[in-house]
Amino acid sequence: MIHPVDTILSLALLSILFSFGSSRLPPLIKVLAFQGVVVCIVPLFIGHDMSTGSLVFTLATLAIRGIIIPGCIYLAIKRVAIEREVEPIVGYHASILAGLLLIVGATVASHHIDVPYSSVSALLLPTAISLLGAGMFLLMARRNAIAMVLGYIMMENGIYLVGTTFSVRARHIVEFGILLDVLAGVMIMAVILQNITRTFDDVDTARLRTLKE
Amino acid sequence: MNLFFLSILIISAGGILTLLTFRFFPLMKILGVLGIGAGCCIGMLDALSKLSHDGSASASFDYLDTLSLAFQIDGLSAFFLLAIFAVCLLATIYSFDYMSNTGKALGTATNYFFFSLLTASMALVVVAGNMITFMLSWEIMSLSSFFLVVYDHQVLENRKAGYLYFIFSHVGAMFILAAFGVLYSHTGSFGFDAAGMSHAAKMLVFILAFIGFGSKAGVFPFHVWLPHAHPAAPSHISAVMSGVMIKTGIYGILRLYSILNLHTPVLGTMVLVFGVVSGVLGVVYALGQHDLKRLLAYHSVENIGIILIGIGIGMIGVEAKNPIMAVLGFSGGLLHVLNHSIFKSLLFMGAGVVLKKTGTRSIDALGGLLKNMKVTGVTFLVGSLAIAGLPPFNGFVSEFFIYVGSFRGIAVGSPVFAVSLLAIVSLAVIGGLALACFTKVVGVVFQGEPRSRAAHDVNEKGPAMLLPMVILAGACAVIGVYPGGFMFLVLKAVAALGLDYGRIPMEPFARISANITWGATLFLAVLLALLALRRILYQGKTIGRAGTWGCGFTQPTTRMQYTGSSYAASILEFFKPAAPLEEDHPPVLGLFPRQTHYRSHIHDIVELHLNRLVVNPVLWLFDKLRWIQHGDIHLYIGYILLAIVVLLFFVKP
Amino acid sequence: MIESILLWAFALLTAPLFAGIIFKVKAFFGGRKGSPVLINYYTLIKLFKKGSVYSTSTTFIFKLGPMVSLGAAATALLFLPIAGHAPVFSFNGDVIFILYLLGLARFFTIAAAMDTASPFEGMGAAREAYFPIICEASMFMILILFYRLTGDLSFAAYFSGSQPFGLWQTAGSPILFVVIAFFIILLTENARVPVDDPATHLELTMIHEVMVLDHSGPDFGFIEMGAFLKMFFYASIVARLILPFELGNPALNLALFSLGVLIVYLAVGVMESILARYRMDRVPKFVLTSFALAFFATAITLEFLR
Repeated sequence: MIHPVDTILSLALLSILFSFGSSRLPPLIKVLAFQGVVVCIVPLFIGHDMSTGSLVFTLATLAIRGIIIPGCIYLAIKRVAIEREVEPIVGYHASILAGLLLIVGATVASHHIDVPYSSVSALLLPTAISLLGAGMFLLMARRNAIAMVLGYIMMENGIYLVGTTFSVRARHIVEFGILLDVLAGVMIMAVILQNITRTFDDVDTARLRTLKE
Repeated sequence: MNLFFLSILIISAGGILTLLTFRFFPLMKILGVLGIGAGCCIGMLDALSKLSHDGSASASFDYLDTLSLAFQIDGLSAFFLLAIFAVCLLATIYSFDYMSNTGKALGTATNYFFFSLLTASMALVVVAGNMITFMLSWEIMSLSSFFLVVYDHQVLENRKAGYLYFIFSHVGAMFILAAFGVLYSHTGSFGFDAAGMSHAAKMLVFILAFIGFGSKAGVFPFHVWLPHAHPAAPSHISAVMSGVMIKTGIYGILRLYSILNLHTPVLGTMVLVFGVVSGVLGVVYALGQHDLKRLLAYHSVENIGIILIGIGIGMIGVEAKNPIMAVLGFSGGLLHVLNHSIFKSLLFMGAGVVLKKTGTRSIDALGGLLKNMKVTGVTFLVGSLAIAGLPPFNGFVSEFFIYVGSFRGIAVGSPVFAVSLLAIVSLAVIGGLALACFTKVVGVVFQGEPRSRAAHDVNEKGPAMLLPMVILAGACAVIGVYPGGFMFLVLKAVAALGLDYGRIPMEPFARISANITWGATLFLAVLLALLALRRILYQGKTIGRAGTWGCGFTQPTTRMQYTGSSYAASILEFFKPAAPLEEDHPPVLGLFPRQTHYRSHIHDIVELHLNRLVVNPVLWLFDKLRWIQHGDIHLYIGYILLAIVVLLFFVKP
Repeated sequence: MIESILLWAFALLTAPLFAGIIFKVKAFFGGRKGSPVLINYYTLIKLFKKGSVYSTSTTFIFKLGPMVSLGAAATALLFLPIAGHAPVFSFNGDVIFILYLLGLARFFTIAAAMDTASPFEGMGAAREAYFPIICEASMFMILILFYRLTGDLSFAAYFSGSQPFGLWQTAGSPILFVVIAFFIILLTENARVPVDDPATHLELTMIHEVMVLDHSGPDFGFIEMGAFLKMFFYASIVARLILPFELGNPALNLALFSLGVLIVYLAVGVMESILARYRMDRVPKFVLTSFALAFFATAITLEFLR
């Protein structure tokens, strides 16, 4: 009765709650890496026919999502000695409760959307929507620039999950495009961060307001 | 019915006699206590016999030829009568030693007079058979309790509390009157009957009445008067007001529910959500109080919340066509009405003894009272365990029924599932918070060492004050261990709600009660065994006495004890958005810091916003309308004339 | 019935043994030989032999506290199916009764601590009053899930025989979250690292240990025993969930159950060795995670059952 995909997806949902509860950047990055891996192995179980090509694609996304991107960010914060606190605007307790509400909301919302392959797993769509929402929440509720980037990556994970429900070929084209964008984004971010810290000694985005004339 | 009227008559007679004999202080008190007590006894026995024999009675009198005063006792009324008479009986016994200020003879006499009036009017409210009788008794009840609140009218704070109560009870009464008005306009009769009304009209009546009754019951956000008025009144009055008077609001909600026969899922959900909010926030605010009686008053808000959760579950069960859930919810709620009246009056009486003997209500000024006030301390401890909903005391029993009813709702479809889940989780949180709150009260007030001079060398002389508390504590334990008989009474009251379930089968409820008895007995048996074991282990051992271990510190003072404020601080931090904390604490600076102080106050958000959103605009409006008030009597007569003319022209006969 | 009582006695007798294992694990991680596994029995016997010293500030509540906390834990075990065997007593709703009975025990532990007028004990008491509130919400959340799966409100219906396996079958992976949630509750309720550190040298940073500072002799023995039983109570729930099998033979069942309990205690020991205690203001978040997990498990299980 319980599909292995459901187990994997519930781990992804769980990672949302943990990411909302993390107060420091390194654990948050680890949670995101874990989430990336979990999200990437979903296609292996979802019942698409796996050709060698798509297997390679999946493994490549897994490597980028699970290792390269988190690794880059991790190195970046190591290098520039950024403030480790995620500097929440919404407190941690409230964030965790908001995460629960978000999951419930996503589940309710998913009943109104009709997507092919949603029959594979009852959790696929709710998880995807939750990831999107959770990413936006992190963007809104954390002041630290890195935490915001991580929120953006979480949204991307959600998009990837929606993508898995579409046909195999189209998925890879769309997905790979986005992923490369994100990768490039992360690289640029790492470089820019170096410069921001050199100028401001801090990566609090609120202080970017001082640039406004 | 005759017995009932006899009891009302004796109670009123007792009140009037005190006014006549106020020059002879002891005689006055004896007359008052005897009169009110005897009347309550008769009324209680009458209610009990009606309740156990399914008896109902009615009577009506014509008043001024046009209005009829109708009275009607059924299971529901009898159940509330039982609670009212029982608590009033004990409160009047308590008052014999509590009201000992011989210098204030006339004040004491008026207190007895209004107390008798309050008792009689509460009893009349729950037996009222039509709107006229109901409103009349309701107003007498509100007014007499107002005069009781301002007993210590020399104190400005008490007068303010009285005015606040006056305004709230009258705005509430206005809402009830509006509800009755809508009812009358549809049915054309003053009787309690809603046949042939449209759904929307019924809904309107219920919502209007819910606000009105809710403001009497202290439902959040209409509870603002409660934490001001209850501490201001003398303690036995607080016990009566908090124990039974606010329950007349619950009675009103239930009575109207049974009259309207309204079938919509919104109703139960609304009642339940109000219950959840009152329950959780009530106990959070209670936790933040520094005044013992104010803390207890906020606990009334919490317990009204629990009662409403029970009633809400009942209503939802009716809609979900789940009779067991419905009866469990209603019976849990009603049993909690009885239980709360018992332990809350017990706690207020305990607080009264503390106030009388130490002269302060400030929790952080007390401490160590248990050593000199054994009876008060132990009964207060029992009341605390009961109000925290812990077995084997009565608070647990009613919460258990509500829990079981809510769990029934878990098995039903999705919307019911969600509200049942809310009910269960909030009950759990309320239970945990109440435990925290009462460990604070017991721990800071009764245990440890005295924190100020007030708490030194106290005594608890006054057997008339102690006796009612012992009886109430006994009742807490008896209902907690043997709820079966009380459940029987409660089910009679539920049957009077008219839920069309025919005869409610007693068997499943008797089984639940038996299980509770079983579990409690088992625990007590284990405890007794441990007691025996402990006795054996301590046989012939040396028992030493020494100071408390100060973790290496050898000069502890009583001022170093943990205070109630610091005890509650971390929990309040969690609820900061709902309970903003205001602190006043000049920082300690320099090598030789000057004396500093710490003062904290928990803001009630309703009180904060009420001022901003209602009071200030209303004041502004009235300021603008000041020109109407001219001080010229001729002009006023002109106003009256104008009003009559307008009425004659515009109101259709 | 006889077997149930024997199993209950087994629980009472072995609870101190299991608690001793935690010391061993910590010693192993610290590279020490550690105290003997039977250390807790020696401690109990030593305490029972002694007399007591009572603070002049205390009242009868101080003496009542240890008895109530031990009595509640022992009663709780009467209702719990040990090794999957039917419990000594059971009725519909006993879960709520037991949870509230443990609440009663907490009330008296706190009251006994407040009785001593010690500022340190007051501090511990305030924390003891705070954290379990969230635990309780989390417990009831799990209860809601179990009720939804079994339609019953008793420990016997959740943990006896092959019932736990049935839970895994109907709900699947969410039970994993329930296990983690339970484990967090276990750590919080029993004052283990990372919520509380029983081995710290500073009273200021403790919760449970500081509350019982003034108890001595047999009274303290009762408290220790109560703590062992409470720990065993939660551990056996987790054990039944992680090893949900029914082997058909009572002896095998007991062996499997003991293995499960052992695993839980080992896990606690490992946690204590590799983790540090959280800062006090971080603890609520940790406990809230347990509530979130339980809520989450309930929400997704409902999605499956739809």
